[in-house]
Amino acid sequence: MKGFTALILGIFGTLAFSWIGLAFIPNLQIGHLDPQTDEEGKDAYPSPKSGMAERGHRIYVANGCFYCHSQQVRADYAGSDIDRKWGERRSAPRDYIFERPVELGKMRMGPDLANIGHRAPAEEENAPAQTSPAPPNAAPGTPAGSPVAAASPGAGGSPAAATQNSPPVPSQPAGSQSPAAPPAPPTNVTANQGAKPPGSPAPAQANVTSAPPAQASPAQSTANAAVAGSSPALQQAVAAVAGAATSLQPSPSNVPPTYSAAWHHLHLYSPRSLNLDSGMPAYKFLYSKRRISGQPSAETLKLRGDEAPGPGWEVVPTYDAECLVAYLMSLDQSHPLKEVKSIAAPPSPPAPGKAPQ
Amino acid sequence: MNSPDLPISPTEIPLRAPSSVTDLSASDVDQVERALIDASTRVPVLMFYTSAVAWLLLGTLLAGFTSFKLHSPDLLSNVPVLTWGRIRPAHVNVMLYGWASMVGIGTAIWLMARLCRTTLRHPLLIVAGGVFWNLGVLLGVGGILAGDSTGYNWIEFPSYAAVVLFVAYSLIVSWAVLMFRFRRGDPIYITQWYLLAAFLWFPWIYLAAQTMLFIVPVQGVLQAAVAWWYANNLLFLWFGSLGLGTAYYMIPKVTGRPVYSYHLAAIGFWSYALFASWTGMQRLIDGPFPAWMITASIAAMILSIIPVATVGLNHHMTMRNYFPLMRYSPTLRFTVFGAMSYTAFSVLGTLISLRSFARFLHFSEVSIAYSHLGLYAFFSMIMFGAMYYIVPRMVGREWRYSSLIKLHFWSSVYGIALMTLMLLVGGLVQGLNMDNPTLAFTESTQSVLPYLRGRTLSGLLMAVAHFIFAYHFGLMLFGLGRTASVPTFLNPVEPDTEELVAH
Repeated sequence: MKGFTALILGIFGTLAFSWIGLAFIPNLQIGHLDPQTDEEGKDAYPSPKSGMAERGHRIYVANGCFYCHSQQVRADYAGSDIDRKWGERRSAPRDYIFERPVELGKMRMGPDLANIGHRAPAEEENAPAQTSPAPPNAAPGTPAGSPVAAASPGAGGSPAAATQNSPPVPSQPAGSQSPAAPPAPPTNVTANQGAKPPGSPAPAQANVTSAPPAQASPAQSTANAAVAGSSPALQQAVAAVAGAATSLQPSPSNVPPTYSAAWHHLHLYSPRSLNLDSGMPAYKFLYSKRRISGQPSAETLKLRGDEAPGPGWEVVPTYDAECLVAYLMSLDQSHPLKEVKSIAAPPSPPAPGKAPQ
Repeated sequence: MNSPDLPISPTEIPLRAPSSVTDLSASDVDQVERALIDASTRVPVLMFYTSAVAWLLLGTLLAGFTSFKLHSPDLLSNVPVLTWGRIRPAHVNVMLYGWASMVGIGTAIWLMARLCRTTLRHPLLIVAGGVFWNLGVLLGVGGILAGDSTGYNWIEFPSYAAVVLFVAYSLIVSWAVLMFRFRRGDPIYITQWYLLAAFLWFPWIYLAAQTMLFIVPVQGVLQAAVAWWYANNLLFLWFGSLGLGTAYYMIPKVTGRPVYSYHLAAIGFWSYALFASWTGMQRLIDGPFPAWMITASIAAMILSIIPVATVGLNHHMTMRNYFPLMRYSPTLRFTVFGAMSYTAFSVLGTLISLRSFARFLHFSEVSIAYSHLGLYAFFSMIMFGAMYYIVPRMVGREWRYSSLIKLHFWSSVYGIALMTLMLLVGGLVQGLNMDNPTLAFTESTQSVLPYLRGRTLSGLLMAVAHFIFAYHFGLMLFGLGRTASVPTFLNPVEPDTEELVAH
């Protein structure tokens, strides 16, 4: 502390040290990653987002979604992210090379969204190429065999809405190929109530095909699953809760498959119509209410109860909402990376089935 | 206003030999000199303070709104400008750049002038800087509310606001360098180390972050690393340095005792500069980064116990036997509370950065408790203390009501204590539930709701404190303070501590 010069030099030196250590050197190490390709230079991952998704990203940022939703899956030893089915492997720097800004997030007042696009039903038309399911599609469904997975699907998503069906999603088309058949995946509450005892509906089928119905019951809610074997009173209570949720959804066929684009629109417009426990604010300002002229628009939100706009009117997403959902549907880190061990580590056949898309 | 027989006399800068304290004639000259310095800083300091208090009130309103909407999401959610995801960054940035930075700069101006023992030579430069700074914050908050946020924590201001802020800052810092050129008396007091460092660090981290995020953006996850590097350094190197520097001035000043140990202070300063600047990556714990980056920051967090312990020990030893003075001096009461909170803040920071704790506490409300402990319990409380000391010297009046000061203090203390408690316990419950995959995810967000309601309550207490303070400050500004030769004591002086006070 002898003099002014020493002080100034010290002040600059310490910060320079930190800047070199935490910004400059990491930039040398992971600042210039390229997309990963397979041996023939194909199947590049990740790839830049579409224009709509990019615009949706800006909507996501502008409305501060990242304050409540992280976009990173921690390794299995560091948290329960993988058990919650938020991803099959931990996130790696390479997953984010086209992201700007990067939305890693620091708070989870809502679930992680790193793989929200991957968890959508596979028939979604705007699902990116890598999500479209390959024929031997056991990959994500495989862990269903393990006890952990059996317990967790319900926990993974939004249990009160009981619409969590992420693990078996890609299997769906295998079981019920029709893309326009929302009732087919028994993901809604009413269907679940019927299928309460886990696995009962279609036990005879092979593991892969039975996945959708089997998953449906744990999907109902963890509490429900836990209660399944216990007192009838409790079961009734759970059923009542589920029923309450159902009452908002008089017609099960109205509920789009979880994490489908239509589901996201409904969820953004009215989160608590899908999940009573949700703490998400509604983003009604991303939607417009207009008088139906001629035929109702294809994008009309299937609203029920109080939310319904009344006869002759419809609620349609604005372009911003379309972009936001396109962005959500583009979030997908399911592609295997060489530098990261996939936790799901499916036995050899599914992996190649998934990888070369 | 500074007569030599003040009960709590603003004695000497503790640097000088204690003998000169009793040297009356020298003291008289000093009094005149100080009065001249105070007069020269009057306009810019009051301008920064007034702006800061205005931003504080706005930030408090936004904070209440943010907190309330977190447990009642449907409140006014249909207006895009008022959606939670915009109100929250607006609150944070108003507090960071409007309140905390402006009150910090205002205090630093005065401290620098006093410690350099020079009158402020180019007050217009700073006033211009202040105007631009206000403009920058206004533009930035407007931009956030309009949906132009950049998407990085604590640096959400869109680039047009960032440019204005930087121009403002250049004006202010060029002044600070000028001030140092004209300083009298060669020894550089501890406070000056911290202030000079803060003034030089801020533009660097700001420019580095702006460059690496927006001008020549780095790739992928490195943006998050740079953003957290910036945010953490803003917290430690900018606010932390300003706060510690102020505490190093106010505590010896009010107690009239020299700082306990200069060696400790030097160790504290340099270890702070070295270790605190390396933290930041612990906020990305277990994220998609090379593990060494995060481990380095965790190690730095642990090592930063060294500056915390030395600074804490130094302040404690300076205060020893003088703690009863906190009964009387508002400045000392706020400052000591802030200095103690600094220790609590650092210990909590170290704990939550450990991997074994982070598993449960990462992504939970605990990080909000941590930020508030740092920015409010530590920094803002020290700044309140400084304002209680400086404003009377600027306006030539003493604070009008000791009761209002006491109300301010206790509302703030109970508010921040309740908030920290609620967020810590709530965050722990939330984190434990989140870590248990057999529980539904919504279980974790539902379980924290009661605590978030409690937090809103604590915010009300703090809002009361701020509005009381703003009212009191307004009285001072309009010349409605007391005309007295004695500062406003919180309590009447009692016989058994009279000796201490008279010291």
